[in-house]
Amino acid sequence: MTAPFFQVEQLTKKFGGLTAVNNISFTVQPDEMVGLIGPNGAGKSTLVKLIMGILKPDRGSIRFKGKELRGQNPWDIVNRGIAGTFQNTRPFRRLPIIANVMVSCLAPRGRRRGEWVKRIEAKARDALEFAGISDLALEPAAHLSHGDLKRLEIARAIATDPELLILDEPFGGLNPVETELLAKSIRRLHRGGRFGRLHSEGMAMIIIEHKLSELMKIVDRVIVLHFGEIIAAGTPREIVKNPAVIEAYLGEEGA
Amino acid sequence: MLANILVTTLVNGAAYAMLAVGFSLIFGVGRIINLAHTAYYMLAGYSIFTLVRVAGLAYVPAMALSILLVTVVAVLCYKLLIDPMREHETTVLIITIALALVFQELMLKYFGGHFRSVPGVAEGSLSILGVQVTRQQAITCAVLAVILAAVWLLLHRTRFGLAVRATAQDMEAANLMGMDVSRIATLTAAVSAALSAAAGALVAPLNILEPHMWLNPLTIILAIIVLGGMGSIKGSIYGAAIIALSESLVIFLIPQGSFLKGAFSLLIMIIVLLIRPEGLFGVALEGER
Repeated sequence: MTAPFFQVEQLTKKFGGLTAVNNISFTVQPDEMVGLIGPNGAGKSTLVKLIMGILKPDRGSIRFKGKELRGQNPWDIVNRGIAGTFQNTRPFRRLPIIANVMVSCLAPRGRRRGEWVKRIEAKARDALEFAGISDLALEPAAHLSHGDLKRLEIARAIATDPELLILDEPFGGLNPVETELLAKSIRRLHRGGRFGRLHSEGMAMIIIEHKLSELMKIVDRVIVLHFGEIIAAGTPREIVKNPAVIEAYLGEEGA
Repeated sequence: MLANILVTTLVNGAAYAMLAVGFSLIFGVGRIINLAHTAYYMLAGYSIFTLVRVAGLAYVPAMALSILLVTVVAVLCYKLLIDPMREHETTVLIITIALALVFQELMLKYFGGHFRSVPGVAEGSLSILGVQVTRQQAITCAVLAVILAAVWLLLHRTRFGLAVRATAQDMEAANLMGMDVSRIATLTAAVSAALSAAAGALVAPLNILEPHMWLNPLTIILAIIVLGGMGSIKGSIYGAAIIALSESLVIFLIPQGSFLKGAFSLLIMIIVLLIRPEGLFGVALEGER
């Protein structure tokens, strides 16, 4: 049997007495787009930080294309082909937008040997074009609106040429029109193709999102977390009917 | 008089700028306040002295070799002593000052406390736009300017420069974009030390060598860095120009009080801090995140 593309096994992370992520296992296939949902404090963001190597797990393993990622540095994980965007965007505020994306192209994975800055710049511009903010390329990142910062995050992530892209609340704080546009971009990315100098075979995705209606439209499969544990997994259609999921969400609203 | 002020300001300003830029670089990227920074400047001076006076090398190869040697020593110190302690800022301060003192004591042991001098590359003087300058001053100033320009190009036109600027702004974010920040920090430590050594090697023929020669420039650089804004390269260059000018003014306008030049520089620093606590080009801390 070949190893799964991406596999999390019995992953556990405790903060003092609180178990933020408890014994979580799941897999993602290369052609899949997986949604990760759950009420506030369910452990979604902790899970992303564990995968990206920002936090170290207490137990369990994370395997990508058969290689263990546990104990690796974030830059190492990015160079193996996983990129993530974060709920709180962290641009290099004093660098122009284009330079922000060029930084991603510097990673060993994003660059070819001997490439000059000019060529990296062209590649970064394509990533910005894809994300829809190429007209702002020369503005300092500090001038961007919240929606555009989200787009910048995506441009930075795809510029590392990932095979697995993890998006943490990509639609957070966006208006319906922006959300619709971004959802379209995400579907395009997932399918793959050529975007100027960037080309992608199509990437697997894990999307964490609060806006369930948007998420359900684009993902193939949904995993539901509650208090650090997986309480349900299945197609969007199955999930919306699952009593445990309804209970978890209604319980939160009732509180 | 005006001409003298100008020449002194240019030569000292360029040397200070080089020291301050190196100090700023490693502070920006690694958040390391390297108090041993000017000790590398002293080491380069002694290394040239040894290579020229003892080994009989010519000045230029001795200079190149000294810069290389000091950079290797500095990178070893960084990897073995500073990097493992990087998270603890106070420890880093103590380690780097201890390092500077160790180098000072070693120089005292091997060379004694005597004042030494290094021969320059050129004798005599020339006149530029009616101003008398020694050839050595002119050469030093020109080379310093070329190196500073090269550093600017390195930072703004190369991939390494972009990596350095990004890491300096947000190390964690750079890490998450696939940047090997520890490698970037090591390379920056090397560039920083090389700049300090180059400054030492270039001004060695103009100055007197003695084992405590690192202390005064260190104070001046701290004033320049704080004046220009911590971690800002542009601030380091402007800060160096301001401090060098104020020093020359004191030396030439109050000749009996030239020993006051350091105090005067620090006074300017205090005044700037009272008006603009983040320095001339620093970013106010609340704007950082």
